[in-house]
Formats: sequence, C-alpha cells, structure tokens
Amino acid sequence: MALLKLENITKRFGGLVAVDKVSLEINEGELIGIVGPNGSGKTTLFNVISGVYTPEEGKVIFDGKDITRLPAYKRAPLGLGRTFQIPRPFSSASVRENVAIGAMFGTLADKVTVDDSLEIADRYIDLVGLEAHRDKASGDLTPVEKKLMEIARALAMRPKLLLMDEAMAGMNPKDIDDMVKFIKRIKEEEKIAIISMVEHIMRAVVGLAERVMVMNQGAKLVDAKTEEALADPRVIEVYLGQPTEQSKWRSEVWKEGKGEDE
Amino acid sequence: MKKTLPKYYPLIPVFAAYLIMFLIGFFVPGMWQMVALLAFYCALGQSWNIFMGMTGYVDFGYVTFIALGTYGMSLGITYCSQYEWLGIGIIVIGFILAMFLASLSALLEAFIALRLRGAYFAIACIGINEGLRYFIEGAKIWGGSEGLIYFGALVQALGRDTVNQLTSFWADFSVFIIAALAAFLNMHYMRSKIGYALTAVREDEDAAKVMGINANKYKTIAFLTSGWLGAGVGAMAWGLKLGYVYPGDVFVIHYTVECIVVVLLGGAGTLLGPVVGGLIYGLSKYWLAVIMPGFQLLIFAPIIIIIIVAAPEGVVGLLKRRLKGTRLEMFIE
Repeated sequence: MALLKLENITKRFGGLVAVDKVSLEINEGELIGIVGPNGSGKTTLFNVISGVYTPEEGKVIFDGKDITRLPAYKRAPLGLGRTFQIPRPFSSASVRENVAIGAMFGTLADKVTVDDSLEIADRYIDLVGLEAHRDKASGDLTPVEKKLMEIARALAMRPKLLLMDEAMAGMNPKDIDDMVKFIKRIKEEEKIAIISMVEHIMRAVVGLAERVMVMNQGAKLVDAKTEEALADPRVIEVYLGQPTEQSKWRSEVWKEGKGEDE
Repeated sequence: MKKTLPKYYPLIPVFAAYLIMFLIGFFVPGMWQMVALLAFYCALGQSWNIFMGMTGYVDFGYVTFIALGTYGMSLGITYCSQYEWLGIGIIVIGFILAMFLASLSALLEAFIALRLRGAYFAIACIGINEGLRYFIEGAKIWGGSEGLIYFGALVQALGRDTVNQLTSFWADFSVFIIAALAAFLNMHYMRSKIGYALTAVREDEDAAKVMGINANKYKTIAFLTSGWLGAGVGAMAWGLKLGYVYPGDVFVIHYTVECIVVVLLGGAGTLLGPVVGGLIYGLSKYWLAVIMPGFQLLIFAPIIIIIIVAAPEGVVGLLKRRLKGTRLEMFIE
C-alpha cells in the first residue's frame, strides 16, 4: 500500500489554478524528486500535503487515513515532517531546543518527556554534523547550517515521510553533492520516504532520486524514472523553451563554425 | 532527581526576594503596607508575564481578570454572608467564584481574541474589558454602576476581629502566595513542553503548526493560568481587603499599563524581571508620592522612558547578559 496517495488534488487561489488535478503515489522508503520551474505549483502541493492549505478538490491519503481536512498540527504526529524553502528556525531558541521541539511534538509526542527529547535532539544534531553549534541560538547560524538544523529537527520528529522543500537552493556544487549523499544516507538509515523538491539544479536531481515528478503550470507533466523523465522532450521544452527559427539557425551556425575549427 | 533539580534554580532568587520582603514587612513596624503594595505589583507583573513572556502577546485587557476576580469575591461575600454556618467558607466561595469568572472570560477571550495577532489582539482585549464594564453598569447586574459594598456584611458574618485580621494581614499574605505560585508556574511551564511549544509559536506560529504544535491549545493554557493568577490577586488584594467594588474602579486600563511597566522595567519574559520591576516601580511610586505628592507621575514618566530606552531588555535582561558564562548564570532566568 502506498504511504502517501494524492488523488486529483486541485488548489485554486481566486482565478489562479496553482495545482491542477495532480495525483501521486509514494511507497514506504521511497525517495522521489519533484521538479518544475518557478511557479509550477510545487510549493503549493507541499503545503497541501503538510496541511497549510486545504485543496478545493481531491484527497490526501496518508498511511491509509484521509487527512485532506486535518489541521497541520495533527499531521505531524501521524508521521509527516517537512523542511522549508527558506529555513524557519525558532530563532531565539538554541539549536538543541529547536531539534528537541521536533522530537517533542512529532510521532513520539505522547511517549517522550522533555529530557528524552533533548537526548534525541543530541543524536540528530550529531547526525547532521552541527555538534559544534549545539547551544548557539539558531538565528545566528549560517544559511546552510540552518538548513541542516531544519533537517535534524524534521528527522527528530521521526516521520514516515519527509518533505524537503528546496534543500539545495543557493548552495555551491560541492555542498550540493554532499547534501545529495547526506539525503540518501538518512533515507537508508532512518528508513523513511522522502519527497525532495528541486527547482532547477539538475545535478542534484540526477544524483538524488530514482523517480521524479515534473510539474508545469500546476499540472503533472511526467512521472517516471529520473533518466527517462529528464530526457523527455516535454520536460526539456519546459526548461529550455521551444526551438524557434532563430535558435535553430543559431545552433546551425554554431555547429558549422565548430566544424570549420576542426 | 539529579537531572530535574537544577532546572528550578532560577526560582531561588525570586523566592528569596519574596521572603525578604515578607520578613521586613512582618518584623519592621509600619512597613507592612508598603511591602504589601510591592507584593501586589510583583504578583501582577509575574502573572501578566506568564502570558506575555511566553507567547509574545501583549494583553492590554488584563485588568479584566483582576476586576472579575474582585467581583467574584464580592459576590461570594455579598450573597453568602447571610448563611452563618458558612463562616470563613464565604471567602473560599468568593475565591472559587473569582476563578470561575476568570476562567469563563479567559476561555471566551481565547476563543475570540487569540485568533488575532499583534495590535489587533491588544485592541480586542481592551474592547472586551470596556464592554464588560459598560455591560455591568448598563444592565445593572451586580449592583450596576453603584457597585457592591459588603464590608458591613463581612463584619456581621465573621466578627470584627476576624475581619480585621483578614483585611490587614491574610489578604496581603495571600498576594505573596500568589506571587510565589506565579513564579513557580512560570518556571514550570518554561521547563516543560508548554514552554517549548510556546517558544516555537512565538517565533513562527505557522512553522510551529507544521511541527505538530497545537498553537491555540498552548496559548490558551498560558492565558488561562495568567488570568487565574490575576483574578486571585484581584480577589484578595481588592475584593477581600477593601470590602467594596465599583466597576469604574476596577475595569481601569491604567492597571494593565502598570503591569506592562513593571514587566518591561524588570525584563519581559524573564522570571526575575517582574520582581525587580515590581520593586523598582512600587518603591519609586511610593517614594515619589511621599516627597512630591501630586507630581509623581510627571517625574515617573521620564524615568520609565529613560530606563526603557537605555535597557530595552529590562534590568534582568542586562544582568543575564552580564552573567553569561559565569557560575551565577543558572540562577537567573
């Protein structure tokens, strides 16, 4: 059975259809990427899954339960964790307290005390490699450290499914490679499903996910294995646009010029 | 035990301050009234700070709770003093009524006003306070604008000696107890899941919800606690001590402003802040009223402005920063 099942999700803002009849299934332990240009509805879809928005049409089924209309705070204890596009640390609290908050109100909410949560927090801070900043106020971290802290906080919730919103935006190639490796590692170690959203860093998508869903203008364009999806002419068109007469002519000239050089 | 005990260290200076105040008032002749006034400000600051410090919401209508607490006690004494067999029980009934009225209004306000944020919340609270006052006056319930005068009934029910003792000692003493209780609850909340949840809500409410935090539940807990304590102070320091109540006397925003000044002087969101703020405010108000009667507000306003500009985190906020990294750090919160 699928862990998360989206059935014909439609979300409108006034006349704008931000998400248009999107269906998707994710199995336990699967890592998939959601790709699409700016404004294609990825973040809105994330917000529908995590409960920030209620869709006008369609159903969200998580772990066999219909959670379409469940408020956001009731979803986390079921096993839904997420990180944000722009990190949202609880700035005045320390890194340790931030991560402990994740443990306290996630799937373990009824079972852990404050002290337990702080212990769990330490474990995940070590996992993401922030042990040097444990007692620092989270607002004072660098952007990359904030992202790592958010991942630790989401993992401390012990989710079954982790939604990662643009985990790699604004990073340099080396950091991206490290992050890809890291995400794959936590997927194996924590045995959780991950949906990672990537806007346009193809380098990350290829290395990360076995499967991607490509979105364009709110609708699902392609849902396939990564290599197949990225080779799909429709996907290339979304990212690079249709070849015009001029661009064809330009590329021919370029080819000819190259030929002459050789 | 080893693990949880150090967590409550910051209560030590707070309780020590209350104890010293109490001892001075008890043993130094003529000091009791002043100490009682200081305890009143400390208790109100501490109670108000539980909600404001933990959630970041500024409740301008806080005096509603104090007023309703006063009314609870007044109603209890007015309507139950005829039953002689109740004896001192009428005070208990009054106190329970105070808590009941405070809960009712806290839940109602939480339902309406806690959905609002920032200035809208503050204005909604003022609105509820003024609304209640005019409702009592206009609908002529609980004595309407003439209020309730029940000192005589109290004397008749309990005897002059008991009443004297109650109003001159036990009413003030219970304010001390409430102040200490407020500090303890504040500390306890800070160290429990409630405190963590409210920190998250204060910093980023939407992110907190996604993390699984039921923001309204935790805000309501803090609001209710704050309201109960305020009502307790009202019931004892006004309801029992004064023996009368007028709506125009108790539903006065001025008292909320005093709470805010006390907390900001001492340090918002800190545990020791309301004590320090209450002492500074109470002492200087008392002293200025003695040396320059009539001019105290004129002098007091600029002093407050200077302190708040010079130390926006309050005295305790400054102290906390100074002591960071030293061994005394764990005693200051």
